[in-house]
Order: sequence, then C-alpha cells, then structure tokens
Amino acid sequence: MDFGFKKEEIFLIKEVRAFIREEVTPELVEETRELGAIFGGAEARKFIKKLATKGWLTPAWPKEYGGLAASEMITYMIRDEMAYAELPLYFVAAYNAGPMILRDGSEEMKKEFLPPIARGEVEFALGYTEPQAGSDLAALNIRAEDRGDHFVLNGQKTFNTHTHVADYHWLAARTCFDGPKHKGISIMIVDLKSPGITIRPLITMAGWRSNEVYYDEVIVPKKNMMGEKNRGFYYLMGALDFERMFPPSAYKKLFEEIVDYAKKTIVNGQSLSKDPLIRQRLAQMAIELEASRLLYYQLAYMLDKEMIPNYQSSMEKVFATETAQHICNTGMEVLGLYGQLKKGDKWAPFAGKMEFFYRSSVVETIYAGTSEIQRNIIAERGLGLPRG
Amino acid sequence: MNFGLNEEQRILRDSAHGFLAKECPGTFVREMVEDEKGYTSGLWQKMAELGWMGILFPEQYGGYEGSFLDLAVLLYEMGYVCLPGPYFSTVVHGAITLLEAGSDTQKSEILPKVASGEEILTLAWTETGGSYAAQEISLKAELQNDRYVLTGTKLFVPDAHVAGKIICVARTREPEGDYEEGVSLFIVDGENPGLTVHVHSTLAGDKQCEVEFDQVEVPAENLLGELHMGWPVLKKVLQKASVAKCAQMIGGGQRAIDLAVPYLKEREQFGRPVGSFQAVKHHCANILTLLETSKFMTFQAAWRISEGLSFEKEASMCKAWVSDSYRQLVALAHQVMGGIGFMEEHDLQLYFKQAKTSELAFGDARFHRELVAQQMGL
Repeated sequence: MDFGFKKEEIFLIKEVRAFIREEVTPELVEETRELGAIFGGAEARKFIKKLATKGWLTPAWPKEYGGLAASEMITYMIRDEMAYAELPLYFVAAYNAGPMILRDGSEEMKKEFLPPIARGEVEFALGYTEPQAGSDLAALNIRAEDRGDHFVLNGQKTFNTHTHVADYHWLAARTCFDGPKHKGISIMIVDLKSPGITIRPLITMAGWRSNEVYYDEVIVPKKNMMGEKNRGFYYLMGALDFERMFPPSAYKKLFEEIVDYAKKTIVNGQSLSKDPLIRQRLAQMAIELEASRLLYYQLAYMLDKEMIPNYQSSMEKVFATETAQHICNTGMEVLGLYGQLKKGDKWAPFAGKMEFFYRSSVVETIYAGTSEIQRNIIAERGLGLPRG
Repeated sequence: MNFGLNEEQRILRDSAHGFLAKECPGTFVREMVEDEKGYTSGLWQKMAELGWMGILFPEQYGGYEGSFLDLAVLLYEMGYVCLPGPYFSTVVHGAITLLEAGSDTQKSEILPKVASGEEILTLAWTETGGSYAAQEISLKAELQNDRYVLTGTKLFVPDAHVAGKIICVARTREPEGDYEEGVSLFIVDGENPGLTVHVHSTLAGDKQCEVEFDQVEVPAENLLGELHMGWPVLKKVLQKASVAKCAQMIGGGQRAIDLAVPYLKEREQFGRPVGSFQAVKHHCANILTLLETSKFMTFQAAWRISEGLSFEKEASMCKAWVSDSYRQLVALAHQVMGGIGFMEEHDLQLYFKQAKTSELAFGDARFHRELVAQQMGL
C-alpha cells in the first residue's frame, strides 16, 4: 500500500497549480458558477485552450490523439486541483464522449474528433435524457430513421444542460423501433447548428440554464454514428464505469471559508469555532472530505491497474455529492441568518457563495444518476444482489 | 497511490484467515465469554509460534520486525472472527507502550517473553471518570525509600486478570494547571499482593477489569519512560492503538457483510429473494460504503504509521469515522437479516456487541472529532 503521490506527480501538480494561479481570472470563476460548471463559456474556452496546449486536458489519451499517455492518476489529480481552484468544470467531450470514441469509435472518427477535443477547441453536450426517459434511459425514443447515408431525426430531449454553449450534441437516439428497448439505441454526433434543431431554455433553481432540445427533420450523416448501430445502450452503460468522477475538492474551498468564518465570528464573547457542537460538525466534514478523497483516488488507482471500477465509481459519486450537501448544510448552520444573503447584498458572507451553493447543491444527488440508482448499482454489482 | 496489499501481506492475510477460521469459530467465541480466563493456552501458544505476538518487535527482542501495516492485516483477520483473549492488550496496549517508552533493559526483559507467548501484558489507563483524558488520571504514585507506592482504582483495564505485567498510568505530581504534566508510567507485576482484580460484566463479554491498587510497591527501575513525562507517550499510544482497533473493526465489518449478503440472496419473501427489494439493497449499499471508506481510512493511517510519517490527524479521523461506521453497518446488517440475526445462536450478534465495545475503546467518535478539531486549529 502507498497512500502518497509519486515525486513526478507532485511535481506536475505544482506546475498545474502555478498555471492556475497565473491564468484564472475572477471572470472565469464567475462564469463557471453561472453556467453550473459546464464547459463551453467564452472565458472557460480561452482558459482551457491554454491548459490543453500542455496536454493537461486529456493527459491519459494516447499521444497520437493529443494526449500525454500519462496515468489516470495524473488526470484525477489535475481535475481535483482545478475543482479546488473553483473550476470544477464538467467536460462532456473530453471526459464522456472522447473516452467512448477512443474505445469504440472508428479510426476515422477518432482522427476527426479527438485531436480538437484534446486541444480544448470543441465541446459536446450530453443528449441522453428525455421527458419519459430519466433514470430509465432505455426508454428514450427520439427517432433516427436510417436513410442510407444519413439519419433523419425527430423528437425531444430535456435537461440537456450543455446544449446552448456546446458545439455538438452527443446524442442517444432510437434506431430500432421494435424489439427490446435497450437493443435499439445508437450514439451519434450532431452539429448543434444543424437546421431543424430548436433549443429552449429551462432555468434551474440554481439560476443556471438547462435546455429542452427539439429535433424536427434533422439530417445527420451516417459517419457521425459512433460504433455499431443499435449498440448505443451498451456503450453508455460501459462508459458509466469509467466516467463518473466527482472531484472531492469541488466543495473544499467553500468548506475552508466556512471554517475560517467559524474561527473569526464572535458569538457571546467567544469564537464560534469554540462551540463544541460546531467543532464536532466541522471535524466531521473534514473527515468526510478525507474519505471522499480516498474513494476518488481509488478510482484512478484501479483504472491504472486496468481494473474496472464499476460499483466503486457509483460509491464515489454518492459519497462525494452527499458530502457536498452535508458541507452546505453545515455551512448554513454556522452562518445562521447570514447564510441566506445573496450575492450583491452588502452583508453577505463570502459574497453570497454560501447561499448559492446551498441552493445549487440540491442537484448533486440527482444528476448523472441519482443516489438511488447509484445505490442499486452498488448493491447489485458490488454485492451481487439480484436485480428486482 | 497503491490501494493493494503487497505479496507478503497477502500471504499473511490468507494464512491468518485460514488458521483463525479453523481455530476460532463462533462457538469458541461464546465459550470464551463464559470462560474465566477468556482464552486458551493452546491457541495462545499456536499464535506465538506463528510469530504473531512479536510481529512488531525488532529482531533483538525476538520479533519479526513487521510493519504496523502488517499488524493491521493480522488484526483485521482477528476482528473477522471476533477473536477473544488478550492479544490486543498484550501486543497493542502493552507492547506498543513498551516500545514507545521502554529502556533497552525493560524491553530485553519483557518483549522476548511476549514474543514466545510466556507473558501477557496490559495497560491500566482509565479510571472512574470513564475517559482517556489527562484530567481523569488521579491514581497516585509516591516515592518512598527508592520504591514507588501506587494507590487508586483503574477501570476498564483489558485482561488484567491474566496479565503478568500491568503498565499503570499514575499521577506523580499534582497538576498545576496542565493535567498532561506529572503523569508517569509504571510496570507492575500482575502478582503484586497489593492488587485486587475484578472482572467487569460487559456487553460483549470481553474481559475488562477493575483493578484496585492498594499501597502497591514498585521498584524505582520499573518506571517506564521519564518521570512526569508519561502523557506524550500515551498520546502516541492512544493514536496507534486507535488505528489498530479500527483494523480489528473493519475485519468485523467485513464479516457482518459476509453473514448478511448470502442470506439475502437465498431467503425469499413474496416469491423473490429479499435482497432483490430496493429498500434492502439501499441498506446494503450503505453498508458497503461504510465499510470501504472505513477500510481506506484505516489503511491510510496504518500506512502513515508504518512509513514514519505524521499520523495524529489521520488516526483520529480514522477512529472517529470507523467508530460510527462500524456501529451503523452492523445495525443495518441486523435490519436486513430480520429476526434470525437477533438470535443468540447467530454470529451477527457477536459483531453488534464488538462494534460498541470497540467504538468506546480509546475514545469514541466524539472524542476523536474533538482531536481532529484541534488539529484543524479550531
């Protein structure tokens, strides 16, 4: 066992840290928060293009497609470092679509899409969820009719958060209309500027935007289909093992600010951090963050050993996101009445960040597979319990 | 990072697992609860022959120079079978304290006997205050004619009824503000006529004792470590012992899962396996999450100790997390097992009891969270 990082990993992360310190602007942090940490805004594109020139966006990819052929550990460390710098950016192209193309895409598709993804020039939007297909993804029914060298698409997606800032839709569509639901789905890359696509905003309680996307006779060339026709659901399920990573440090800076607030705030003549109950709560959060960190890096360790972290990635997702909510609840408790003050109010502690995270963290345990779905996976794959 | 055991540790784990499965079935655990001594010399000698007593000691003291991580691997397997007897009190309470503070003479005299299975040790720390805090230490040791005379009462002393040597935490100077000063450690012979030992009746049936020290005379050379400077030693012992205890606890946690899960796959209600119901699955997912996080926290802390890195914060984080998690996970295992797990003849109840006893040993979650808070500068 070894719970430390290697010398070269520590060295690299110092370099990353210095780069971030140099390049991150308040505008970038602000944009990241306003967009709900999705990648695609103007500030983030500028920043990520620079970061990508060092190979740090997709370090684990083969060199021929723009990676560094580095370890997953490096990838995980960089993403956690970014999260700590309040840039917990979520990349669909680099972390969902890209790795799937690497595993299952044609050589032609790899050559066309991977290098620009690795350079941070293009972003995809996940196109999975539909009104009747949330946790039950196989129930999706946006229709893609095969017309020889192209598909014609009709139907609707919802909660597709990236679509208004991304370049391409990473779309799961139905290509077979009879037989088992999960055997008739294909994955395709759709240019979001294609005629017939309408994107309508859905504003969330966090203030950021998600979208409904309507497809009306949209033409998609067949070469944009990823892998084999009707195998899409299997690709998606396989990808879940590899691409659920929730950097534990996304809430670490907020936590540090809460701790700092507790130390500096005097109530009844003594600092809040001297209150035994508050001490217990804050210590508990530090402990949960540590457990979360270990679950996170275990995933990288497994991937580097070519083990498949199937239930482990679900466990990490549940734990990291529930810890995030615990931190928010603890923070609100520590801040008391002040916790409700929004950005812009002159009395708001840490510029209203607490109020914002309390509100936005609600979705953590819902998106990318709810905690309930994750717990099913943990029980079924981790303990071999029978499917219901 | 590397989350896996090395080859030697895997061999140690597998051989310990096989040995203990044979030597320590649930019936043996129950017998030892009733047994006056709480262990058998037969098994004790076999364990000594396997080198388990001296796993941590330098070779010069008859040991195997293993790492703390090796000890953790062994304790994990002992926790898995709920091994009764004075292994923990001898090797962790006693020997670790000796290794931390003992002179070469003291170590040469005692440790080889421990390694060979001839000597049982323990540490008499807590008193009527029922806590590991320095302000609770009031048992007095006074110097009279080159001999220390110890008077007072210790409670919750593990295996004192069979210990050949009891390391006693005593106050040698009245505190002037700082309770951590003026605490000293003494090696007391278990046969000393001034000692009265009474075994508590406890939840898990392990042998924790009330030890009364009535004018117990101890030669001056039995002072362990420096006079008045015992507390810094104890702080280290507390943290190391906490991590060692956690290693035992995660072994027990694994066993709780191994007892519950096969049953949930077989047992049918409403025409389907109980384990296929989502409410049951979610409890199980929580059980596995509590266990795996506990394992990582424990092995990380054990690794830090092995590597000679600072470990205070990680050890307290570990004991706080594992104390809560082990209790919760066994309770959840009971919930999903239903009535059968509540039966005395089912082994799960052993782990329910072990979980609480272990949680209380060396400070519970609240105690260690406070230490974490201090480490955080709160």
